[in-house]
Amino acid sequence: MKDLIGLKTSIGEKIESALNAQIKVEAHSSSIYLAMASWCDYQGYDFSSDFFLEQADEERAHMMKIFHYVKNRGGKAVSPEVVNVPQDFESFRSVFEQALEQEMHVTKQFNNLADLCFKEKDFVTFQFLQWFLEEQVEEEYTMRRAIELFDVIGEEGTGAWDIDKHIPKITFDRG
Amino acid sequence: MICELVKLEEVYRTKDGAVLQCNNKNCFWLEFAGNHTAFRVQDFLQFKKTVDQIDLEDMLIDSSRASDYTLLMPFRTQRCFLLDVTQLLALKEILQGAMFMLELNSLLKACLTDKPMVSHN
Ligand SMILES: [Fe+2]
Repeated sequence: MKDLIGLKTSIGEKIESALNAQIKVEAHSSSIYLAMASWCDYQGYDFSSDFFLEQADEERAHMMKIFHYVKNRGGKAVSPEVVNVPQDFESFRSVFEQALEQEMHVTKQFNNLADLCFKEKDFVTFQFLQWFLEEQVEEEYTMRRAIELFDVIGEEGTGAWDIDKHIPKITFDRG
Repeated sequence: MICELVKLEEVYRTKDGAVLQCNNKNCFWLEFAGNHTAFRVQDFLQFKKTVDQIDLEDMLIDSSRASDYTLLMPFRTQRCFLLDVTQLLALKEILQGAMFMLELNSLLKACLTDKPMVSHN
């Protein structure tokens, strides 16, 4: 029998829907960071606001990278619906803690995706995921470093102001 | 879409219907609820996803009359389906069975055309 589906798409049903789920996670991350940027700006933390604006752009770029991959392989990329975006946060510190939790969630998702690729023997997609897995190391590192500033500098007095000023200076050395 | 019925290959059949494929026009035919509906490959995949996502449990629990039926209007077909839970179960079975057979066919094709790994000894 002629392989009609193979002629249309090189991506399996399960992998396609998992990648579309990841598109949604990246879109959600982007929206969360945008809300964090707004909150930081509103509270007077200019540098952190810019930091989260940049993160929001990065997440959007991640989303588009997966989006293009799905359609380039003949799949149907889904424009994600984004709901449940928190708009208020308990404290300056908690913003970064939530950001770290979000990144840890994303890493877990990518791990699951990689696992699925093995089960489905889709090593092309597995190869595509490598970039994201590496990227996650940097994302988690950056957020952890930011949280550490709260302990190292302390929020008392002009501490919060100092922490904010240090946020853009966090750099990741790939070694 | 018009295909010569004699040239259709049967992908999967149950007592409630079947999925057939046309190798000339590269499309699928769904034989269900007394009708034949043609789908382009991508529309067929989309239709299966839509049907898969229908929550039958939800339909059963929800006591409002509107939830007794689900209306399906696949794009680019002249058909609409108004289906109750039993019919949806039957449709899901046909589509899932067809998908399985199509995947099996792809696998078999891959096995038959792949050259064996070269041994280095
Ligand atoms: Fe990301």
